[in-house]
Amino acid sequence: MSAFLTRNRLIVLAYAGMVVLLLVTALFSPGFLSVSNMRSTVVLAAFVGIVALGQTFVIIGGGIDLSVPWVLNSAAIIMALLCGGQDLPLIWVMPLLLAGGAVIGLVNGVGVARFGVPPIIMTLATNVILQGLILVLTGGSPTPSAPALIQFLSVGRIGGFPVIALIWLALTLVATLLLSKAAFGRHLYALGTSATVAEFSGVPTARTTILTYVASGLTAAFAGMLLTGYSGQAYLGMGDAYLFTSIAAVAIGGASILGGSGHYLGTVAGAMVLTILTGLLPALNLSSGALLIVYGAVILLTVSIGSEAFAGLGGRLRRN
Amino acid sequence: MDLVTVKGLSKRYGGIVALSDATFSARAGEVHALLGENGAGKSTFIQILSGAVRHDGGSILVDGQDYRPANPDAAQARGIAAVFQELSLIPDLSVEQNIWFRHEPRTWLGTVNRGEMRRKTLALLEKYNFPALRPDRELRRLTLAERQIVEIAKGLAKDPRILILDEATSALPAREADWLLKLTRQLAAEGRLVIFISHRMAEVRAIADRLTIFRNGATVAAHDANAVSDNEIVAQMIGRHLDRLYPERVPTATDRIALRVNNFSSGSRLSAVDFALREGEVLGVGGLQGHGQRELFQALFGAARAAGTVELWGKPVSIGNPRQALIGRDGIALVPEDRRGQGLLLTKSVRENLTLSVINRFTENGLLSRQKESDMVKEMVDFLRIKAGTPEQLAGTLSGGNQQKVIFGKMLLTQARVLLLYDPTRGVDVGTKGEIFQLMRDLAAKGYAILFHSSDMPELVHVADRVMVMRNGRIAATLEGEHISEEGILRAAMLETRAA
Ligand SMILES: Nc1ncnc2c1ncn2[C@@H]1O[C@H](COP(=O)(O)OP(=O)(O)OP(=O)(O)O)[C@@H](O)[C@H]1O
Ligand SMILES: [Mg+2]
Repeated sequence: MSAFLTRNRLIVLAYAGMVVLLLVTALFSPGFLSVSNMRSTVVLAAFVGIVALGQTFVIIGGGIDLSVPWVLNSAAIIMALLCGGQDLPLIWVMPLLLAGGAVIGLVNGVGVARFGVPPIIMTLATNVILQGLILVLTGGSPTPSAPALIQFLSVGRIGGFPVIALIWLALTLVATLLLSKAAFGRHLYALGTSATVAEFSGVPTARTTILTYVASGLTAAFAGMLLTGYSGQAYLGMGDAYLFTSIAAVAIGGASILGGSGHYLGTVAGAMVLTILTGLLPALNLSSGALLIVYGAVILLTVSIGSEAFAGLGGRLRRN
Repeated sequence: MDLVTVKGLSKRYGGIVALSDATFSARAGEVHALLGENGAGKSTFIQILSGAVRHDGGSILVDGQDYRPANPDAAQARGIAAVFQELSLIPDLSVEQNIWFRHEPRTWLGTVNRGEMRRKTLALLEKYNFPALRPDRELRRLTLAERQIVEIAKGLAKDPRILILDEATSALPAREADWLLKLTRQLAAEGRLVIFISHRMAEVRAIADRLTIFRNGATVAAHDANAVSDNEIVAQMIGRHLDRLYPERVPTATDRIALRVNNFSSGSRLSAVDFALREGEVLGVGGLQGHGQRELFQALFGAARAAGTVELWGKPVSIGNPRQALIGRDGIALVPEDRRGQGLLLTKSVRENLTLSVINRFTENGLLSRQKESDMVKEMVDFLRIKAGTPEQLAGTLSGGNQQKVIFGKMLLTQARVLLLYDPTRGVDVGTKGEIFQLMRDLAAKGYAILFHSSDMPELVHVADRVMVMRNGRIAATLEGEHISEEGILRAAMLETRAA
């Protein structure tokens, strides 16, 4: 047990932070811990958490995915356009758009792994290209409202539980299995720790890298569709916030931004922390500008705690 | 009076005792060897002396004054500098920038005075007769041996009274190692104290005035070098008598060819090599460093581009990357040269390192079985006697020799029967070296085929069945039987190529 704690110190820390933050928020607004409020917090956190799933994989592998916002946007807008408010088309639109997200991820991954393009450049470029495509496609006009089925997925409930929370739970399970219980996870951590050592050990480095970006494309596209259901409509720019929050959730969750460490379970706590922070805002009567400042400060704080722990480790590594 | 006196020094890391009771004293003007098994605490001791880590208990006196450095700068202020292995160098900086890092000569504007830096670098290299080294080369382009030499220059740049060399010869080829030994004597003659750590008894014999022996974190003996025999030293180091370092060389090679290589080239360093490695054979690869040995090993393993034909167990193969080499029993496995850069995930556990190449073998229906993995890891840790607190200890915190054992274990787990061993005993203590040689012979007897390079020539002479000597990227000669000798290898390495 104590071995588990030291090994996953940063993840445990993230959950501790989440609890503290919950209590602090409850102090300022006593109604915060109510069932209905917790429910809406979890729903909001789920969107961050789902986008951050792929991002977690990418970051553990030593990369970063900046194309998240417009993959999300594109999926949302194209879905709304293709469905025209009807449920039926979803049976082909959803798989199509998930595949689309995967293809964008594939392009990112191949660019990074096969052609050696730095991840920041590669994913930034796909992001901008997608943005351009969507602007051309829609001419900036508003899109029809979201199909009812999608609205059910994102705001509906089953037995009192938000559907999206259940989806998130299922995804968390899958991600945890992949990271902790599958060969893929070992390969991924090895890749992020040292690409050279991984290569020399026979790890399929290129394939593993590509898979992380594919996962990120998938989760961003999926989140885009769900988010349309939540807001009832798709609109340009709805994904913008998720670039920052997806990366921040991973960092708060204890992953090193340099790769090789972290876990999706940490990211889940990170997504919760960020969302609770947002909930603290009305309670403290902070402006949205102030929110951004708090956001930024929290990231700085957690990342520096993380890198402190990292530096400590580095110091302990041997020089024989 | 003694320059350094250490009493009862101790250091623990969590539950692991690195040093329990180290006692040590050394005078100015001597070369003082520090000996001990892998994990005995030598590196920990010098890390404390050089201010890199703090001790828990005991006392250190330097010049009779209490000494407890808070960091390496404080140690340096007292005239103590240590040469660690490649780790403290920065790959993006040039040789000279590394040598003077944080101590760069300045102009009156406070900027780095490049001219002065170059002048001082050349003067330093000249003064100690360094092997050829271009000051403006970027460090990442250097070989392991060259990086080690830069590290030595960096230590000397501080003009220390006490210079500590931790296994500095282990990464050096013969000629450079000789240079370092001479340099060590010269430094002692200048009145400095050199603390010298090495697992090569011959080197210790050649230069040490006195020696101190550690075992399990405590000092077991200190001797004048000429008052004690090799056998006694080894016995005190490992706590038992070592009958022989090199196993008996019973020929086990069969007629079956395990690895046949034709017209095999890679880059500009390896041109059109032909040879055959037989089942049950240990084939040595020797010659002066930089004549294609590294390229041969890397290219065979798929870690470097190559042209030519390769046959494994009679079947032509094309190995474009290490993944295609590591295909189980019929594949090829490598113990790479650079253990930190290519061999080990330093921030991951011994367990994760050991099983990284074969993790797929522990999955059932796609899910890992930790039990199966742990059993296999435990077996390997016991088999190689890897000294780790638990298999969860981070590989980077193991002693150097134990890191090497982990890499060896990782290679064995791949089950490949063609093994490429590039300096597999680097940094390994005498006792374990003997075990590794025995293991190599045992594997050969079981039908493995081993290509073996060592920077320590006697190892080639005593362990290999045949020795290929490389020169300018070609095989200059292949020595067999009684022709295998150090002189024979050297002659072939230096003379014009003759038909072998
Ligand atoms: N940071 C650390 N965390 C845990 N254990 C450590 C750490 N540093 C050293 N140790 C342990 O302390 C012991 C002594 O290690 P040390 O590196 O001093 O041995 P050494 O004599 O230099 O061995 P070698 O000849 O193999 O280099 C080893 O068992 C090692 O695992
Ligand atoms: Mg050591």
